[in-house]
Formats: sequence, structure tokens, C-alpha cells
Amino acid sequence: MLKKHPLITFIIFGFILFLISNRLDELIVYHGATVGIYVIAIASLILLTGYSGQVSLGHGALLAIGGYAAVLARIHYNAPVWLTFVVAVLATAVGGALLGMAAARLSGPYLAGTTLALAIGLPSIANQFSVFGGEQGLSFDIGFPPASLGEDFTQYKWYFWISWSAALIAMYWLRYVLHSRYGRSWRAVRSNDVAAELAGIHVGRNKVLAFTISAGLAGLAGALLGMTISLVSPGVFPLLLSFSLATGAVLAGVTTLGGVMIGAVILVAIPEIALAIANRYGGSETIITNLPGLLVSGLLILTVLLVPNGPVEQMHARRAKHAKSGKASHSPVELTVRVGSKTWSTKK
Amino acid sequence: MSQFLDMFLIGISAASIYSLMAISMVLVWRSTRVVNFAQAGMALLSAYIGYELVSRTGNFWIALPLAMILGAAFSAFIEFFLMRTLLKNSSQGPIAAIAPIIATLGLLGVIHAVLGFIWGHGDVQLEAPLSKVGYTVGDTTLFIAPMGLFVIGFVIALLFVVTILFQKTNIGLALRASAYAPEIAQLSGVRVSGIRTLGWAIAGAAGAAAGILQTVNGTGAINPDSLEFSLLLVFGFIAAVIGGLESLPGAVLGALILGLVLAFVQIYISGTLVFIVAFLLLLALLILRPQGFLGSKVGRRA
Repeated sequence: MLKKHPLITFIIFGFILFLISNRLDELIVYHGATVGIYVIAIASLILLTGYSGQVSLGHGALLAIGGYAAVLARIHYNAPVWLTFVVAVLATAVGGALLGMAAARLSGPYLAGTTLALAIGLPSIANQFSVFGGEQGLSFDIGFPPASLGEDFTQYKWYFWISWSAALIAMYWLRYVLHSRYGRSWRAVRSNDVAAELAGIHVGRNKVLAFTISAGLAGLAGALLGMTISLVSPGVFPLLLSFSLATGAVLAGVTTLGGVMIGAVILVAIPEIALAIANRYGGSETIITNLPGLLVSGLLILTVLLVPNGPVEQMHARRAKHAKSGKASHSPVELTVRVGSKTWSTKK
Repeated sequence: MSQFLDMFLIGISAASIYSLMAISMVLVWRSTRVVNFAQAGMALLSAYIGYELVSRTGNFWIALPLAMILGAAFSAFIEFFLMRTLLKNSSQGPIAAIAPIIATLGLLGVIHAVLGFIWGHGDVQLEAPLSKVGYTVGDTTLFIAPMGLFVIGFVIALLFVVTILFQKTNIGLALRASAYAPEIAQLSGVRVSGIRTLGWAIAGAAGAAAGILQTVNGTGAINPDSLEFSLLLVFGFIAAVIGGLESLPGAVLGALILGLVLAFVQIYISGTLVFIVAFLLLLALLILRPQGFLGSKVGRRA
């Protein structure tokens, strides 16, 4: 079903979400909105790392660019809500293209260090210019939901609708892009850039394009995050956010979009679990402030150690192994590049 | 003139600390081909250990070497239990290139959280053992104080020891050989895995010294969320990249260049631009000369 009619599947999924959102209580709807945002952010990181093979440890910085772009458009030009998201996507994509041009020439550790430096330094830059509102930040007010939706339509449900509409559209589009020529080119570049270049793929251009699209999506997620918190400030995009997104991407499995939901739900659940544990042990302040960070980072290390390719991919691999010993093998799309007598393949 | 002298002195004393940080990153990179982003957390941990040792023993001069030894032990521990398992488990698939990087990031997060658990999020104060009032020559007060002079002298002494270790001893030869060609080194009887752990241990000691000196030379306040230590990581990384990420003299040279440039920006332009300038310097360098100034030219890149 999903393979044949993705559009229908996405619409049905959206409708189910709509039905669910009418039945749940406020707090869960609010968390649901955050899950939608993390879905976009993690997908953008997966696109970059898993598909085009570029590491970004500072995706939080890109989210921050999107958030600030949206809030500045809202405050200074009084832009309508949908337009602030468009502004966020465009501004971050431009920033991402600039960064991508530098990034396309860098390999692993250099790129990781550069993006991490950006995530560390960007909040301090935001603090120093009054346009960005300093430590307090700028408040992001999208107004009340339209009156036509009825009297008892709450603000949180409005957030939920906006973030999930954005997430579904983004994921549908992303799925389309990744199955297109570009997606195949990116995977070829990731697997073996020399072979890809020999096959006529412009490596640099493809890397910059991947960075640009990934940044645009991250910007959208940043604007949405600012919306649900009603605030855009350095504290909304801390270094921990970059860590969390990396954790989410690794948990989702960096090579597949299929696990995005798992990563997003876990990221939203972690602070709640931490709070529950803290309350169990007398609600101490130190536990509440430190446990989420410990859980996120600990989970990151454990995942990389135990299931480096993510639980979903691990399951696929195991099933493929079983199937191979049985009858026909079930394997995901494979890419093979042949040059002369040499063969490069994503197959093991 | 005195402003220029101040700039020079600020630059040198900052550079000496950056160079320790850069050296520890270079050593880790050379031994395991991993850039250790947890170095900031390890330096911060060492600063806290230094604080505890000073408050227990009451003597900074005992606490500093002890904290360096503990830092070395912790770093070796990380290599032995985390990195070895990691490099063994995730040696294939698309994750292989990024798994170690992501693991060090996770380690940074874990260290931060644990520090928060133990010492809380308020500042603790590590007092400087020497005066921080600048020397006076005639009517002018220079920027340099006994504390700053000690930092510079101590770092130069450490650099001297590291140079002797690397150039004149058998262990140094083994360290260089297993960084240059691990398999050939192994064939000639060098126990490469043990040497790797040793590389991490030396890096840990250098990082610990960097953490403590940065604290006592600065405000003396230690905080798990301190931006200062995150910036120390960034500046150490930039210094290492200037030098080519491979070479120890390169790391020191990179730290000197970076320290002087940032001091120039701080004094003559504006303190708020320091990070932006450092970041642009990094970008420009990576685009124009990614192999650094003293690194090897051909593809010994991971």
C-alpha cells in the first residue's frame, strides 16, 4: 500500500491523526505537535547524513536560523503565519547553501567540527545583537486559531494541525525527492564518490544541493519549534538540541526514513520519562535538570555501540538474512556502479 | 605601544592553553583517527577534579599534576572500554565513518550531565595560586601577571617534555610509527593497540592541564554549562586544523596564530566578534588549505 500509493497513504495517515487529535487531552496533543516537528528535523538530518554522507553535529544551529528568520518576519513585517514558515525555509536554505559550499569540500571530522563550532557559537552571536532580543529572545505569536474552526478549538490543537500538516507535506515531498534521480545520486556519492563521479554525477553540486534542502527542512522545523514554544531565544536552541537530533537520527537509523517516527517519539518521551523518574525520587531539582541530557547522550552512545545502523535497519538486515536462508531474498534498493571490470555496490 | 604589547601577551597566554587543547586533539586523531569532541567535557571534568583536590589538599601544586594523572587515566579508560568496542562493532556500513564522531558527542553530553549531577549548575570557584595583578614597569601596568607567566612557562615545559618523549625515546618512536603506518608498526613488533591507549592517555593529561590552566588564568569559576569550555574546544580544534590535524608542532603553531589573531580582534576591533572571526578563519582555511600548514599533503585522511 505504502509502496504503491504513497499519496493515499499519507492522506489516510493525516486523517487518522486528525481523528486522534480530537480525542486526546491537551498535553498529549501538544507533545504530538512536537513529535511532528522532530520528524521534520530528524528527516532533514537523515537526508544529509544517511543519504549524502555529510555529518552535521550542529543541526540545532540551522533550526535556530529558521526560528529567528520566522520571528523577525512576523515582528517587523507582520507577515501572515504561513509566510513566516516560507521565509524560514528560504532563509535557512540560503544559509545552508553557503555552508554547504564550504562543506562539500570537507570530509568527516572537518565537517563535524565546523558544524559543531557553529552550534556552539551561534547562540552567543544571537546574544550580542539587539535585533535578536538577547538572552530573553523574541516572542513568536501566531495568533488564535481561525474562528471558523469553532469555539472549542484550542491553541494546542491548532499547533498540532500546523506542525503535522507541515510534517506530512515535507515527508511526502522528501520521499519523492529521495526516490528521484537526486536521491540516487546522493546515495551513489555517499557510497563511493569516485565511482559516482565516473558515472557522470557532479559530486560537489549534489552535496551542496543536499545541504541546501536539508537546511531548508531544518529551518521549517526551527520555525515550528518557535511557534509551539511561542518564543525564539538562544535557550530554545541549546547545544543539547543538536545532540538530541543526532540521537534521534541514529535511533531512527541514518540510512532510512522509515524509522523517523521512532526517533521523534523517543525524543519527546525522554523529558517526560525523566520527569516521571524525578518525581518518583522526590522531585529533586538536579535530577530534573540533568536526567534528560544524560538519557539522550547515554542512548546515543548505546545505540552507536549496540545497533550502529539503527534498530529498524537492524531488523531489516535480520529479516533479509532469514529470507535468504529460506526462499527469495528481500532486500531494499541496492545501487551498483560498474566501471570497466570493477564494481562498486552498496550490497555487502 | 603598550596596547600592542598587551595584545601580544594576551595572545600568547591564550595560545598556550589552546595549544594544549590542540595537542590533545591531534594526539587522539593520530592514534585512532577520531576527533575527540568530548575533550571539552574531559577538560571541564579535570577542572572540577582540580577544584576538589585543591579543597582537599589545600595545595594547588599537588593538585595540578594529580589532576593531570587522573585525566590521563580517564582518557585511557575511555579509549579502552568505549572506542575499542566501537571501532570493532561499527566497522562497516554507512555508519562507520560517523559512528566514532557521534560517540564522542554522546560522551560529551554524558560528562556534562554527570557533572551537573555531582556539582550542580552553579559556579564553583578554583582560586588562582598566584597573583593575577599585572607587573608594573615604570607607570604602566602590563597585562602579564605572575599567574599568566606561570601558565606560559608551564605549557612551554610540557611541550618540551612531549617533544623529548616523541623524538628521543623508544615509546615516542612507537607512537610515531603506529600513527604513520599501524600495520607496518605492528609487523615490526609494536603493540599498536597499547600504544593507542597511551596516545589517548597523553592527550588526556594535556587536556586536563588545559582545563585547569584555563580556569585559574580566567575568572576561576567552573560551571558545567560554561560557554568558555565549549569555546576552548572550538579554538583547540581550529588550532589543530591550522596545523593540519596531524602534526604536533603544527598544533602549537596553529594555536599561536589563532591566539594572536583573536587577541588582535579583541583589542583593536571588538570582543563580540571573536567567535565570528575564529569561525570565518576556520571556514577560509578549510576551503583554501584543508591540509593545514604543517600537515601531510597526500591523502592520509579518514
